[in-house]
Amino acid sequence: MVLLQPDPFLNELTSMFERSTEKGSVWVTLKRSSLKSKVKRNKMKTAGEAIEYRCLIRATDGKKTISTSVGAKDHQRFQASYATILKAHMTALKKRERKDKKKGAEGDKKEGGVKKPKRV
Amino acid sequence: MVYITSWDEFVERSVQLFRADPDSTRYVMKYRHCDGKLVLKVTDNRECLKFKTDQAQDAKKMEKLNNIFFTLMARGPEADVAEVTGKEHIDAQPTKKGRGRKQ
Repeated sequence: MVLLQPDPFLNELTSMFERSTEKGSVWVTLKRSSLKSKVKRNKMKTAGEAIEYRCLIRATDGKKTISTSVGAKDHQRFQASYATILKAHMTALKKRERKDKKKGAEGDKKEGGVKKPKRV
Repeated sequence: MVYITSWDEFVERSVQLFRADPDSTRYVMKYRHCDGKLVLKVTDNRECLKFKTDQAQDAKKMEKLNNIFFTLMARGPEADVAEVTGKEHIDAQPTKKGRGRKQ
């Protein structure tokens, strides 16, 4: 697991999406974390120190895992870039309705073709 | 595990799940390009909520959920989510004002 800065993470995430177009999946996990061990957290708690939580982001393509974290101050810039990357790479999803209508029309043609071949 | 079919229900229940146990709840997105499938999962290791889709319009909705979770996780479970979802209104206001002045 490599903990990266947000920008290198986004670059690596982009190449993960590019590598997995023909086969494979990409997983992205968001989790709230203090990035500290439980022992340390407990020590801080008893000492009355405030624990800073950040949003931990992990991504994997099944072979390689990368991670980064964003805090309250920088999460908005990160989530904007993240959304742009998703938009650019999630191109295999279906656009709505129009295709369904076309499919319906094609289905009708096929049915017609079976009963009465037009070209003959 | 049963997939939730209603998007609104999925959003509502996942935010609830996170707020109930912020430290052990995670939000996972899985995207499979070759099959054109997108699966979202929110779990605290006891309860698991999943949503599956192949529609591009759901990816847009997911963007909003991403923003909700980024805010909740980076700022804390008490953070106002309406701020995220209502952000568009804030952005839209200046243009509305502009129009009003012109009239």
